[in-house]
Amino acid sequence: MEYLITSQDMPLGEKLQVLTDAAKYDVACTSSGVDRKGNGNSIGNCVAAGICHSFSGDGRCISLLKILLTNECIYDCKYCRNRHSNDIPRATFTPEEVCTLTMEFYRRNYIEGLFLSSGIIRNPTFTMELLCRTIWLLRNKYRFNGYIHVKAIPGADPELIEQTGFLADRMSVNLELPTAEGLRTLAPNKHRKSILTPMRQIQNGIITNRNDLVLYRNAPKFVAGGQSTQMIIGATPENDFQIINVAEGLYQKFGLKRVFYSAFVNVTGDKSLPALPGGPPLLREHRLYQADWLLRFYGFRADELLDERRPFFNVMLDPKEDWAVRHLEQFPVEINRAPMERLLRVPGVGVKSAGRIVAARRSGSLTFQDLKKIGVVLKRALYFITCSGKMMYPIKLDEDYIVRNLTSEKERVQFGSDGMGYRQMSLFDDANFTRPVTVIEQQQAAVGQL
Amino acid sequence: MIVYRCEDSAESIFTAVYQAYEEKRNHRDTMLCLTDDPILFGEDVEVKADREKAGKVMNTLRRRFGAEDSRHLAMALASEDEGKAQAVYRTIVEGLRVKCRPGHLFDNLADNEIHKAFALGRGVSTELGHQVQFLRFQELDNGVLYSKIGPKNDVLAFLMPHFADRLPIEHFLIYDEKRNLFGIHPARRQWYLLRGEEADGPLQPEYSEEEMKYQELFRQFCHTITIEERKNRKLQNSMLPLRFREYMVEFQ
Repeated sequence: MEYLITSQDMPLGEKLQVLTDAAKYDVACTSSGVDRKGNGNSIGNCVAAGICHSFSGDGRCISLLKILLTNECIYDCKYCRNRHSNDIPRATFTPEEVCTLTMEFYRRNYIEGLFLSSGIIRNPTFTMELLCRTIWLLRNKYRFNGYIHVKAIPGADPELIEQTGFLADRMSVNLELPTAEGLRTLAPNKHRKSILTPMRQIQNGIITNRNDLVLYRNAPKFVAGGQSTQMIIGATPENDFQIINVAEGLYQKFGLKRVFYSAFVNVTGDKSLPALPGGPPLLREHRLYQADWLLRFYGFRADELLDERRPFFNVMLDPKEDWAVRHLEQFPVEINRAPMERLLRVPGVGVKSAGRIVAARRSGSLTFQDLKKIGVVLKRALYFITCSGKMMYPIKLDEDYIVRNLTSEKERVQFGSDGMGYRQMSLFDDANFTRPVTVIEQQQAAVGQL
Repeated sequence: MIVYRCEDSAESIFTAVYQAYEEKRNHRDTMLCLTDDPILFGEDVEVKADREKAGKVMNTLRRRFGAEDSRHLAMALASEDEGKAQAVYRTIVEGLRVKCRPGHLFDNLADNEIHKAFALGRGVSTELGHQVQFLRFQELDNGVLYSKIGPKNDVLAFLMPHFADRLPIEHFLIYDEKRNLFGIHPARRQWYLLRGEEADGPLQPEYSEEEMKYQELFRQFCHTITIEERKNRKLQNSMLPLRFREYMVEFQ
């Protein structure tokens, strides 16, 4: 099988389509972590919180121009759409094309920056060099000052990774699968060690750079937005406990900014991959993200949320509710007295509302009405809190009773379905009800069949 | 009860606050009102906006409450709510009375007026965030970037600094069609606001040749990046409300 169209004479639109399609399963598309003012002479700035500029039909944000430099990959990872034995159209961008697209999209406020990844072309070092050259061009010739996220290619020359790090805001190395064993079966060309090496290198680079910045204020910044990684969920038989343990290890030992979880979508139909008749495991992915937040912002540890005896998250309850109903001895929490870290463990109380509670109770004792104003989700929190010693309603602190009440709501989120039923119509909608008469209908009308 | 009748502008409202302090009113028995509705037993005082007085109030706010909280108050004044003047006034009085430290103005959210000012400010701040996300520029024939928005609140003055910082070397123009207000940024120069006259009429923009090409490319990009197996229109609609879409190129 040979493709007659070579990528060189392919129009830009077609290339963009091929290489977007190839990159869309990568989830790490945030533009956060860097606060950089514009410098007055070039285009772009960065906002620490990140900005999402649009949302695609699957509800995921479009923040960065997420593309591969090339999908002509020499590797044959079984889960990947771009594996070299897969029969799909192939294309390669020139560095200039990537730069022009980024600049033109950016100045129209379509995107927040560039997310550049790549298939392995020839060998890892060659690929990394191409990536590095592209963003060097973007930074220096096109004077782009916005957000750039680049993949570090495992196995590439460390020198190149370091050079790239000084140009990019965030770098990531994909862990792909949570365990080394999974990696061996599904991605024969990748090794756990070669993935962790650049990750460690970037971590050390960030630490060294932080020390340099203390001494020399104008030292160039190395990967200012930190590094991230992603894991595919549901392609291999790991359980949730193993996954969040790996994530916790990455946060603690590798100083990662984010770990992303990607529900496995079977795009290659390889026989060693699980069939997913119910669609991708979206609820599982959602629960992992919830747990990830608990690890990073709420002071939970992985072994508090799950253990070997119950290695999977509850389908009905979110991880925090699940933890709370199993630790009823720590509840109810008195809103007007409890320390911050105990407030954070109450379901329905987030980081922001816990902060507001602590600030507001200095001026006077709080009631349930005040909690509502502060933004506490009372329908979840009311089982676990007291205000001035009283609960909102007379409630039994009983596991079964609380679980029944927490799960009885009809408006539980339905995952995996489109969820789109109807939309409010107005007189001014131009719904385009009329369509042109087709030739077949004309014939049918002529012979009296219609 | 003393009722200060102000116009719907930050300058006028801050002048009223200044007057209330200057005339040593009892703040519990004083009100700021934006409408002409008669108030029983109210004694009306007309407020004439005074730039100097408003400036003094703004300086005091920044000094006493910190940059972030005074910005939040200014944002509350950009909302469309009729009770905003009173809420902001009461919040200022309360903040000065308890001598709150900078950054702690909105601590006491149990207080109704403080909560209202806080909620209004947050509403405007959310809207501002949405505009920063969803605003789209289109390149005109002469290279100027042009954008039309229709925000619920008057966020243009807060929107301009963001884009002026981001695109300093571009000429750009943001048109708020609900208020007939233009934000203009000449390249490498200070931006300014211009209120359009009724005679101006709607702009008939002529787009550059490249413009349609890049719109089409972006539309295609948005379409391709959707993963069919994960389709979730409801999530998309909650993240990107329909009212923004008439201004966005990828939904046209």
